[in-house]
Amino acid sequence: MSSVENSADWLGARLARKEDLRLVTGQGRYLADIVLPGMLHAVFVRSEYAHARITGIDTSEARAMAGVVAVYTGEEMKAHVKSMPQPVVTPNLPARYPTFWPLAVDKVKFHGEPVALVIARDKYVAVDAAECVYVDYEELPVVLDPEQALGEGSPLVHEEDGSNEIFAMTLTGGETPEEQAANAAAVEEIFQRADVVVSQRFRCHRTGITPMEPRGVLCDWNDSDGLTAWITTQRPHIDRLALSDLLDIPAEQVRVVAPRDQGGGFGVKAPFYRENLAIAHAARTLKRPVRWVESRYESLMNVGQERDQINDLEIAASKEGKLLALRNRGVADNGVGTTGVYWGFVMPFLGAVELPNAYTWERGDVQLRVATTNKAPLTPSRAFGHFPTRFALERGIDMIAHRLGMEPAELRRRNLVPTLPYTSVTGEYYDSGDFVKVWDNLMERVDLPAFRAEQAQARAEGRYLGIGFGCGVELSGVASELLVPMENQPGYGAASVRLDPRGKVLVFGGDAPGGQGHETTTAQVVAALFGIRPSDVVVTTGDTGTTPFGSGSIGARAGSYFVSAVAKACAELKDKITRILAHDLQLEASVQHFEFVNGEIVYLGDDSKRKPFTEVVERIIMFPINLPEGEVGGLEHTAFFEAAKPMICFNADCCIVEVDADSGNFSIRRWVTSEDVGTLINPNIVDGQMHGAIVQGLSNAMFEEFVYDEQGQQMSADFEHYKLATAADVPDIEVTYAPTPCPHTPLGTRGIGEGRPSSVPGALTNAVCDALSPFGIEITELPLRPGTLWKLLREARG
Amino acid sequence: MKTITVTVNGTDYEESVPERMLLVDFLREKLALTGTHVGCTYEGVCGACTVHLDGEAVKSCLMLAVQADGHAVTTVEGLAGADGLTPLQRAFSNHHGLQCGFCTPGILMNMSDFLARHPDPSDEEIREGLVGNLCRCTGYVHIVRAVREAAREMREGASGVSA
Repeated sequence: MSSVENSADWLGARLARKEDLRLVTGQGRYLADIVLPGMLHAVFVRSEYAHARITGIDTSEARAMAGVVAVYTGEEMKAHVKSMPQPVVTPNLPARYPTFWPLAVDKVKFHGEPVALVIARDKYVAVDAAECVYVDYEELPVVLDPEQALGEGSPLVHEEDGSNEIFAMTLTGGETPEEQAANAAAVEEIFQRADVVVSQRFRCHRTGITPMEPRGVLCDWNDSDGLTAWITTQRPHIDRLALSDLLDIPAEQVRVVAPRDQGGGFGVKAPFYRENLAIAHAARTLKRPVRWVESRYESLMNVGQERDQINDLEIAASKEGKLLALRNRGVADNGVGTTGVYWGFVMPFLGAVELPNAYTWERGDVQLRVATTNKAPLTPSRAFGHFPTRFALERGIDMIAHRLGMEPAELRRRNLVPTLPYTSVTGEYYDSGDFVKVWDNLMERVDLPAFRAEQAQARAEGRYLGIGFGCGVELSGVASELLVPMENQPGYGAASVRLDPRGKVLVFGGDAPGGQGHETTTAQVVAALFGIRPSDVVVTTGDTGTTPFGSGSIGARAGSYFVSAVAKACAELKDKITRILAHDLQLEASVQHFEFVNGEIVYLGDDSKRKPFTEVVERIIMFPINLPEGEVGGLEHTAFFEAAKPMICFNADCCIVEVDADSGNFSIRRWVTSEDVGTLINPNIVDGQMHGAIVQGLSNAMFEEFVYDEQGQQMSADFEHYKLATAADVPDIEVTYAPTPCPHTPLGTRGIGEGRPSSVPGALTNAVCDALSPFGIEITELPLRPGTLWKLLREARG
Repeated sequence: MKTITVTVNGTDYEESVPERMLLVDFLREKLALTGTHVGCTYEGVCGACTVHLDGEAVKSCLMLAVQADGHAVTTVEGLAGADGLTPLQRAFSNHHGLQCGFCTPGILMNMSDFLARHPDPSDEEIREGLVGNLCRCTGYVHIVRAVREAAREMREGASGVSA
């Protein structure tokens, strides 16, 4: 732990977190720890079939059980809750948005869909009663393959839509069909003249990031205040508006609180979920607090499922190793799509946008079709939509290098965008940074020539070592110009900074973190700006009753937008403080003539003129007399921050593996990263974000897989079958930095961590293919497992 | 219903519980010790519910409360003594061994038992010792470091060497 005395050094200090004391002593307060007097317990009855008509529901036995307070069916609830879609949780993108209610009406569309809701005085009784709700089903044909779903004669998931194509888009070549056709022809011309072309189908399985704390909601109702809902959520302010609109409760009568402690989110807690509506409706009807805590079984059946894409990727390059054009035809398996905000397809949409990555291309032709199937809806997972497209692209680049007989690392470096800003061929704006610097830093750490010598030596001994690379341009916050069309929400950050009469600082933010350490990083920023200590700063997040509007803890918004709003608010307050202090000291001076340091405000022109920060703050709040003309007492400011253009961060990964060419077993011997995260606020926290993201990427790529059988039954709804990486499965990780401060944020910070898993599957599979290059093996599908390698090796050996 | 007598974090409790009540629910709901968490469907895989039963790490979702009758249970709330946090708890904070904190109580309980048995573990042994605990945030890197540093501090404390 650092002992920091100079206040400026709070930025960049490896401070232990403010959050930790309560969390290592069992004093955290997560959703399932919150209890209200008279609270009832909710359990959902969920569909046993992937696709079936509901022909009857018998709730009589459940209702008659001692301790059961209510049972709701879809038909009953439909009369009191509006149907989705509703604008507040619907993108401004043209799509076939399916109609749905909190509980299934008429038919069920995936295994695990909520069908009925049981409310009881005791949790165990609620579970018993749910087993006594008898649903009659008439099975319907299922569609589980996205390409089949898009074909003629497929069963329809949402019959009223007349098609399973929920969304389709051409992302390059302009707005009109004529412009797009002209671009496609130009791309084809490049492919015709290119020296080398790779044309390959890449598949990524259904997987995602499952937080350790499942979802939950606790709703309380009274007739004067309306609804208070505690929700495991990344975006309480959006949930509030959605609950208001869908339940027809005036917005001022809805308050949503994201518990201060949440057991991870990673995107899974970002959508607006139908279960929240059902619980809120029950609380309103019963006028009693009602709590639902999701079981792991329900969680794995309903959320955390992402990635599921096929990408038919083509890359054209010159014999000198210049990447020329890319063409991609993506097909994503959306599942049913019944979640607010995302509807499943928003992830593959962004995945297609982010396909070109950090490389220069002359042209691109990127198209996407998204198909509804009888599976759980895709829900967001860190590396939102682009885990599969990055896998495809980074593998494709190595395949080009193999064709050219070129070192893949050298091919990458030659094609990195050399100077920023830059707009990608899919229209994504990269604001700032230095990709080549990040890359060269990685290569310095790795020492590729030494590795190649070691590899050759090992091969001579019959051992197969391999090295693989990948990189990733990631969003640093989500700008309004992207978030308004994509999610119908603003991108700006908002923060209220309130000084109290004792000179302490309270910060309020509307986004709701889930373990990223926002209390600590925010406190470090405030402490640096006011020259006080982080322990003097208290950060409150996620309560819509006390915080300014924020679109949520998503897309690396904290280090980019939220912290910048905090810095702006602090700057406003420092202006006011120094105006009044200058007046009191009878100085002709303004903020730039003062330094806030070590708990004092010091006049730079004569450092004998200084006052304790606490004294000045108390004077302005408590004794607002003898003020400069036009000034009023009090010290609180809400600031909003939005950069003029979208912002990014950048990283590169190197993976070294050893593969047993007989069994297909492999082990990761080394993982090294290089990061541009802008100005670092707390390197411990940033290191931790990178470690976690990389291991999530490895776990997704090597172990986790949601499996459905041919009837659409989910086969992987517990942690025995849906395997997460354990400590013994994964390597140590060396994180290094080559930062460029972001010129578009007040402190040079970048938002980091969200997209970070995306470069992992490429680096890992490239390393394995490099190890097995004597066999000419090119991996094109995830997950990567020893059994798959064993088969590929057997085929390669004939 | 059955009446059981259990010592939890040094306090004796006599409580009437349904026979089918899990130990984890007894701790969380009857005794309001909510530091013990539930992260899987009572299948013993995630390890967030790990407590000590007579000093040994066990998963409290795999036991009934009635099975703890006559035994002593320690939860995460009982780890820190009057003299403050344990070296393990301190190390988790100092080395950023936790992010969301949901898995942390179970890991602390498992690793405090582990360190009592393995005072000088290698990183590989620590990683093997952690396989009964799932963490989604940290990638385990800082957890391994925290356990290693706690072990070092505890060894130095035991031998009278100042850290």
